Amino acid sequence: MKRRITFIQRVDASFDPQQAVLTASSLSVRGLDAAREDRITVGLDELPEELRAVLEQSHELHLRWASERSFDAAVPFSSRVSPGLHAHYTPLESESSSEALCTLLRTIVAPNKDTQFKGCSKQEESFITPPLLSTRFASSTSLQYYTYLPSIQSLVEYIQNTVCGKNRTDGSECHTRADALLSADSVDIDYDSDSHALTVSGLWNSPPTGGWTDQFQKPESAADQIEFGLLGADAGLEPEEIKMGGLLAVVGQDKKLKPTMFSFPSRHQQLTEPSSYTVSFAPPTGLHPTMSISMPRSSLKRPPAPSDATCALHTYLTLPSTIFGDQYQLATTDPLFLESHNLVALRALAGEMDLEAPDWVVQRWGSNWLLELATPPEAEDGTSAPDPSNWTATIPLHLRYLPPSETGYRTAHIPWPVVFWACTTEDDTKMSVNPFDRTNLGWDGLFGPRTLFYQLQPAGDRLVEEIDVPVLRLEGGDSYFQGKYIELGTCVVISLGFIWVLWRLARVAWLSGIGSKPAGTVHDKKE
Amino acid sequence: MALFNSPARVFLAATVLRLILLVYGGWQDAYSAVKYTDIDYMVFTDAGRYVAKGESPYARDTYRYTPLLAWMLLPTAWEGAAPWSSLTFAFGKALFALSDVLAGWLVVQLLVRCYRFPVERALRYVAAVWLWNPMVANISTRGSSEGLLGVLVAALLWATLTKKPILAGLILGLAVHFKIYPFIYGVSILWWWDAERDGSATACSDLLSKAFRFITPSRVKFTVAALASFVALNLVMYLQYGQPFLHHTFFHHLTRIDHRHNFSPYSTLLYLSAAGGAETRFEALAFLPQLILVVVALPLVLAKKSLTTAMLAQTFTFVTFNKVCTSQYFLWYLILLPFYLPSSSLIRKPTLGISAAVLWIAGQALWLHQGYNLEFLGLPSFVPGLFLAGLFFFAVNVWILGIIVRDGGEGAGEITVALK
Repeated sequence: MKRRITFIQRVDASFDPQQAVLTASSLSVRGLDAAREDRITVGLDELPEELRAVLEQSHELHLRWASERSFDAAVPFSSRVSPGLHAHYTPLESESSSEALCTLLRTIVAPNKDTQFKGCSKQEESFITPPLLSTRFASSTSLQYYTYLPSIQSLVEYIQNTVCGKNRTDGSECHTRADALLSADSVDIDYDSDSHALTVSGLWNSPPTGGWTDQFQKPESAADQIEFGLLGADAGLEPEEIKMGGLLAVVGQDKKLKPTMFSFPSRHQQLTEPSSYTVSFAPPTGLHPTMSISMPRSSLKRPPAPSDATCALHTYLTLPSTIFGDQYQLATTDPLFLESHNLVALRALAGEMDLEAPDWVVQRWGSNWLLELATPPEAEDGTSAPDPSNWTATIPLHLRYLPPSETGYRTAHIPWPVVFWACTTEDDTKMSVNPFDRTNLGWDGLFGPRTLFYQLQPAGDRLVEEIDVPVLRLEGGDSYFQGKYIELGTCVVISLGFIWVLWRLARVAWLSGIGSKPAGTVHDKKE
Repeated sequence: MALFNSPARVFLAATVLRLILLVYGGWQDAYSAVKYTDIDYMVFTDAGRYVAKGESPYARDTYRYTPLLAWMLLPTAWEGAAPWSSLTFAFGKALFALSDVLAGWLVVQLLVRCYRFPVERALRYVAAVWLWNPMVANISTRGSSEGLLGVLVAALLWATLTKKPILAGLILGLAVHFKIYPFIYGVSILWWWDAERDGSATACSDLLSKAFRFITPSRVKFTVAALASFVALNLVMYLQYGQPFLHHTFFHHLTRIDHRHNFSPYSTLLYLSAAGGAETRFEALAFLPQLILVVVALPLVLAKKSLTTAMLAQTFTFVTFNKVCTSQYFLWYLILLPFYLPSSSLIRKPTLGISAAVLWIAGQALWLHQGYNLEFLGLPSFVPGLFLAGLFFFAVNVWILGIIVRDGGEGAGEITVALK
């Protein structure tokens, strides 16, 4: 087992050497004002049997969870996914069908009793295959799954019950570390069959009140290792580079903290000027809600990418099956439609596209949409006063029919999409040398390997929108709103209508038979 | 009004109305983000493009029609420079609009030749109900294919009333291939076309020879021709496009669950039962009242008294008792109204006629108000709003149906002088 603990201090944060003290057997930090990433790498043989069975069938498995709380991402951890749990998976054998991964996911997601979220039953039934439209994807897993997940309580309990086994000597330590994940902004879990190792990363973008105070003991086993880093990040010499400097140590090996300075290319970059966006659905949402993504115009300056790079603003939507886009409507090339919504084009889509199916018929979790957004035209001369109004892109969406409920409504939870600039460069940069590199986010695989990403920061208290979906109201008890009254009412009215028409026909037949000579009318038919 | 003296002027006005709408539609499509063209037309033209590339029209999602439609719209797939491309794009709409006018012309011909209407009177009714009806012109110029059904039904009637059994059969086979529902007309026409109509009537009291006499040359020709054209068309399409053709053209319409709100009285029940909330499976029997009336009772009692009124009553019943009903379906019976209205009690007794019109419109308005509340305001108006509005609209339709049946029994819409 290997642990890597990285504290990233902002440029303006204060630091006193007394705040990080290394001894022969431990390292302690006190009141540290920093972002923090904890990364634990565990070999396959150290894992419980149940988990190993799932991983041994996997070629790649990447879980990405993001909190729905708003947070400011710190360099070099600026990449984002929509709030909730994303699973990116490639089985070892492409045709293999297994319920093991779904069983694992259900354990992690449970006890989410909200039935409108698609439970995972079998991966080929619940996962979607990205992407359908794009031909420019570089690398992505073959299957993808998403579920709304406000808290990872169940994941933490799962780790405590199975990974922090009773036979481990660091059982209580393991429990504490797992509990700490509850306050993380995002959690990544990665496995691939080449390394045969599982990596769990937690990210906290801001410290708890009073700063980070913690102690890291030298591991008892010689096979285990704890790496420590206390770093600051800054822009590198090249636009695609990040420069980092600070102190590094391996606990129990190094005598003192070693000063260091290094730089590396990074696919995820920070925008130099603060830039934010908000997401909303204008009421009344009806059955056809329109998603609005609003950004201050000042947020929409071209990112500081190399001058030869082509940059475009994108949004990547993660839509649960309750809500969907019409691929024919959104894939249009009609400039009038696109301009009226401030869209440029639909770049990629995957998942449930059925325009007619109710939610209970849809099996897979939902759909993903990559759209290129328009940006405001540059002012002719730089001297004009900045336009204070927001720039808003809108995406027309549609709701599926949901099962009846007692209130007449059901709630659809729609995570905010991510909004980012993608800048494609010509250089052949090796992004993977980045020790903090992050891939398999869903949207990154839809771009070439030489693309730089600049995230806009979502600005809101909660990064999930709730829509009240009107449904058939069915109540229990003595209420009139019961299924049986609908059945009875329909049956009675149709039957009465049927009998009425039959009665009218019977009268006609009685009065004038079924032949061609109606009684009582003069009929001068030719002889 | 002098306008109705001249068929040329009436048809010119109908054509000009459609031309204006076509040009306006092209303009709105080009300058507004809200399109005039119907979504379905985009489906047809996409399918036409697939066919032009040598692929199956069913490669387009939600293309649920015969490949004939995509073939007809092949010219819309022609690429060209700016003015040409918008002209070729409108080809299908122009075709649908032309079918409208042709259908109106056929109805006028029939009214004048078979129903002995003065030209002016025939033109007045057809113009009011069909040719100058803005709804009809709007639907076809927006690119909905329902107009094609109008011309097929008018042609079927024309071939039948002018005693061309083979042609009538061929047209019926084509119409059923196009849109299943016209099969109901086959029953009425068969029952109507007895030996008397063929002009070889001899009274016969013996039951057995009566049964034997049911088989007349015209009935046989009509049936064989209808089956032949229906089977031949389906065979060609099946050989060309295989299972997807059968699935999308026929099976989809038989197996679909229409859980979305629509005018049908079954709508709320279907939502309930599709979501698994119904205790009985009453809706599984929905075809019974519909088919008993449409296929047996109405043709049997009315067809020989007045073929067109029987067909109108059949269409009206089919739409009213159907498990799904949208406003396009109302077009299906509009083409048959000019035969019935002139001698109907709805015209003879203005109070009755106005009451029927007011109630029908009120039923629509009530439903549409509830539909608006749901669709745009997001209110859960399924119960009691949409449920009761749907049942009320059904009741109004059934009441009007009763009037049509009574009028049909009295010979309204019957040919006053048989054509020879």
